[in-house]
Amino acid sequence: GDALLPAPQNISIISTNMKHFLTWSPVTIQGETVRYSVEFQGEYEREYANESWIPICECSLITTTMCNMTEDISATVPYNLRVRAETGTRRSEWGTLKGFFNRITTYLTPPLMKIIADGYHLLVELEDMGPAFQFRVLYWRKGQESKMQQKIVKEISSTLHLDTMEAGTEYCVKAQTYVEAINRSSNFSEMQCVRAQG
Amino acid sequence: LANGSKIFHFGPCRISMSMNEIRAGFAAIKANIQGRDPIRTVSILSHPHSLHRIKSSEKCCIIHHLFNFYVDKVFKYCTTEDSYINRKISSIANSFLSIKRNLVQCHNQNMCKCGQESTEKFKQILTNYKGLNVTSAAMKSLGELDILLDWM
Amino acid sequence: GELYCSLPTPRNVHFESINMKNVLHWSAPDGTGDGVLYKVKYSVYGVGKWIRKLECRNISRTWCDLSSETADYEEQYYASVKAFLHGMCSDWMETARFNPLTETKIDPPMVSVSSTEKSISVILTAPEKWKGSPEEESISLAQVYPGLQYNVSVLNKKTKKRWWFSVSNNTLVVPWLEPGTVYCVSAQTHVTTPLLSSAFSKEYCIATLKDKTA
Repeated sequence: GDALLPAPQNISIISTNMKHFLTWSPVTIQGETVRYSVEFQGEYEREYANESWIPICECSLITTTMCNMTEDISATVPYNLRVRAETGTRRSEWGTLKGFFNRITTYLTPPLMKIIADGYHLLVELEDMGPAFQFRVLYWRKGQESKMQQKIVKEISSTLHLDTMEAGTEYCVKAQTYVEAINRSSNFSEMQCVRAQG
Repeated sequence: LANGSKIFHFGPCRISMSMNEIRAGFAAIKANIQGRDPIRTVSILSHPHSLHRIKSSEKCCIIHHLFNFYVDKVFKYCTTEDSYINRKISSIANSFLSIKRNLVQCHNQNMCKCGQESTEKFKQILTNYKGLNVTSAAMKSLGELDILLDWM
Repeated sequence: GELYCSLPTPRNVHFESINMKNVLHWSAPDGTGDGVLYKVKYSVYGVGKWIRKLECRNISRTWCDLSSETADYEEQYYASVKAFLHGMCSDWMETARFNPLTETKIDPPMVSVSSTEKSISVILTAPEKWKGSPEEESISLAQVYPGLQYNVSVLNKKTKKRWWFSVSNNTLVVPWLEPGTVYCVSAQTHVTTPLLSSAFSKEYCIATLKDKTA
């Protein structure tokens, strides 16, 4: 019979800011288009559903070597992930990610932040990182770090009003993201300072 | 977009639940799942009385029981022919499992007391469940997830 | 018993809900012109019986207000419509299960603005839940949705700069503004669980008083 295709190798997950991508090395067969299919298995499937695997239709018979798992890895439990190669007639064994993946390990980057002084008003612009993200914004009058104030931002809108500033004084701001679903925060962004009018 | 996480305090026990992730998952399958439940006259969770009648002091106990109920007796019998629906059910099931783990800790630390009212209520829910065949009971229970989420 | 019903069923039978004013809507059966009459019934999910809505019996309009019948937002409901034309009838056509708490749309808040020389004050009032008559007690949607809050935008008409505020109580004071300047305020009602957001209100503009010393 037809020899089995080699299973995909170098399977890994790239997870940044709660976006999770499974990647693998291509399987190359002279003169043939190789396609890949991906499946996942959550802890629930392992423990309560006979270790069943669930296919991802957006990553079934694809020719690329990457699959966006974000929508399916939507619980903070360990997941098994696997991919196999197939050509028209032949199929490989499943290649499985070594070890579980839990979204709690996602890499959280500090938020992009821009500070604006508009008269006596201190304003901040933060990037919208998706519904899972809140922001912890710390701000203080320069030289008075001990009187640092905090604002938790749950909703991103463009220019958010932080506070009013005393005339002619300089204020500094830094921010970090917080993801409630995994109870983790990013590092702080670089500090930025602006001066109030007057 | 807001975050919609909810933190439950049962005494010193703190449980964080990403409610809107579960709600979004359910909203995506609600019409499909409820459409598979032709029985309008019976509710698993609300018969004969609504969950809203339960004292708040016994809320933790019922939530603990209900999360076990959904994990043990509901999700696994709700496999459909639709892969998209199955993926959403898996997402909800794994979220419930994650929360159930936290609830077990609260329960083991004795912060999730069960009184007669919640015990009776959960017994009634099991009776309602057993009154139907497994698949119908499971599908109806899954279709009533918003009743549980709204009450929580 | 019911006649043998060969008329096509009403289409797109669904609830349209704003602040829990829950109105059943539908479209006429396919291929029928004028003269179609309808009757409506509803039921509470988990309770045995269908209840006829008497005020919507033999009506020609294609909506029926079921707000008072579906006022308990801890319950869920079904409604159903049947059509009649020239002695023929249709089968009943049902809605999907309707959950007022998560499926209603909410209005923007009421906004009132006042100003001094260097500040504006904004008072926000959550919309009220539908009620059957003016004498009935008013229930604010803030009571129905404990997590209700507001997103407020303030536009400086001179600089054209817009600032955003997230407000969880119902007042916002913006100090240190420019005298003699027009500011326009618009607000949105926002609930985090379940996730509900209103449109933004219209803009309410007010000028800060002129600087007396200038």
